[in-house]
Amino acid sequence: MDQEKFWVLLSKKLSAEASPEELKELEHFILEHPDWQYAIQNMEDLWKHRQPKDEMQSEDAYMLHLHRMNEKNILFGDASTAMPVITFKKRIKKWYWSAAAVLILVAGSFFTYYKLNTTKSNQAQPGVQLNEISTRSGSKSQVILADGSVVWLNVGSKISYNKDFGIAKREITLTGEAFFDITKNPEKPFIIHTSVIDIKVLGTQFNVKSYPSDKTTETSLIRGSVEVFVKNREGKIILKPNEKLVVYNEPEISRNKNLQQNETREKIPLFAIKQLNYQNNDTIAVETLWTQNKLSFKNELFADVAKKMERWYNVNFQFDNKSKENLLMYGTFTTESLREALEALVFSFGFKYRIENNKVIIY
Amino acid sequence: MLKNNYIKKLLAAIALDDDQAAYKELFLLLYGKLKQFAYTILKSGDEAEELVSDLFIGIWQKKDQLSNIETPLLYFYTTAKNLAINRLKKQKRRVILSAEDWLVESNSIYFDPEQLMITEEMVRQIKKAVNDLPPRCRLIFKLIKEDGLKHKETAELLHLSVKTVEAQMAIALRRIAICLHFDMKKTPQPHFSFKK
Repeated sequence: MDQEKFWVLLSKKLSAEASPEELKELEHFILEHPDWQYAIQNMEDLWKHRQPKDEMQSEDAYMLHLHRMNEKNILFGDASTAMPVITFKKRIKKWYWSAAAVLILVAGSFFTYYKLNTTKSNQAQPGVQLNEISTRSGSKSQVILADGSVVWLNVGSKISYNKDFGIAKREITLTGEAFFDITKNPEKPFIIHTSVIDIKVLGTQFNVKSYPSDKTTETSLIRGSVEVFVKNREGKIILKPNEKLVVYNEPEISRNKNLQQNETREKIPLFAIKQLNYQNNDTIAVETLWTQNKLSFKNELFADVAKKMERWYNVNFQFDNKSKENLLMYGTFTTESLREALEALVFSFGFKYRIENNKVIIY
Repeated sequence: MLKNNYIKKLLAAIALDDDQAAYKELFLLLYGKLKQFAYTILKSGDEAEELVSDLFIGIWQKKDQLSNIETPLLYFYTTAKNLAINRLKKQKRRVILSAEDWLVESNSIYFDPEQLMITEEMVRQIKKAVNDLPPRCRLIFKLIKEDGLKHKETAELLHLSVKTVEAQMAIALRRIAICLHFDMKKTPQPHFSFKK
């Protein structure tokens, strides 16, 4: 082989354009010239080092670019969406104020109701007004209740409670996912109602996930202890720290109506107690990572990961290829854009997607 | 290869969805390289910057047609080249140089010697070898190694034959490899280990 051809082949290999035949030819040449091996190996290493991107410079340039577009009166959406940093600040401010407003409301109602109750009997009144706090898909919120308990509300979730919360009893209703840090008060247990379970606690930290679109309701205990009452079932389940109770949302009969054999029916438990998941070297359980602004999953089906991503990114997933629903996935995202997250998953788990409007289609 | 596919996805998102996040991602992805390329023609940092901005304004304005671009990376470089030449044409007092004279800045081809198992002396020699490459050869080497264009795309961009591009790459690689090559007979005792 002549010299030039050899270097051309190497060049094609480096730029990933060489055909299998060409690669073989090149390999053959290298075997014949072992003294070049070192140079070629280093050349390959050298090739992989691309100039690191100057993020700062590009970000600055992008801002100037938007400014120029604006000057030229070129319509580019609304300025705030073009600069996510500002939207983020705005959003924080917004919920900060709404949380503050809620606090004042709660404190106010506490005061008026307390005054009323010093003279009246302490009955729960029918038609007592409800306080309701909810988050949209794509945003989270933290709420401090009148008793000092803190509730982190995950995306697309809602809590509601009577305006007399904290006086006679501490009861709230949850739809969606929330992490609770409950102030201790043995005289007034804190009770959380969801569609399939009620949770009774004295003072503790735990996470409850109860989205209507999910198949299960999960209660994950970090410390302390909780008692869980499954609706339409007798008795209670007591959880220990690092345990997770998984309850299937659909009633057994409807879940199994397509199954014909009785054995299969028994194989699917109504509920299960599992251990919390921890990632390597992480002291925070995967179940509560979302409070750290992380979207995290470990050995979960793509179908379930998609549900998490739907809420996190405020999009909808559609599986045109149903077999992909069963891919087992693990991963953690923090600041990644939807597209970056999808590209990373495509890279590791292999599937195809396209984005149409607010919909991610997996095929 | 991967890059082209990724750019295609971003372009499709911009075309179909008016996706501003994808637009920003694309800008950040290509800005540095396109600016360097524009600089080789315009020889002015400010103008190169403005050119890239103009290019992306164009992208937003004709975003409906973006999903039909087969080789997007080449499309961006060709557009940058045309915009640059138009600029030079408008400023009549400036000479329009041929691609022969588009000089790549010497530090824009990247080496990170610390990650390589090579000696200081080799690093010095490689840098010298790259800087001593004839301008056209250096430009071709940069477009393929740093910017990720294919041989064929580079040929199209510079109006050269693929054979010419390949020959220029052979020259560049051989000159660098010579710096990395060492002759066992001449080197008494290498004091660094070999990579297998």
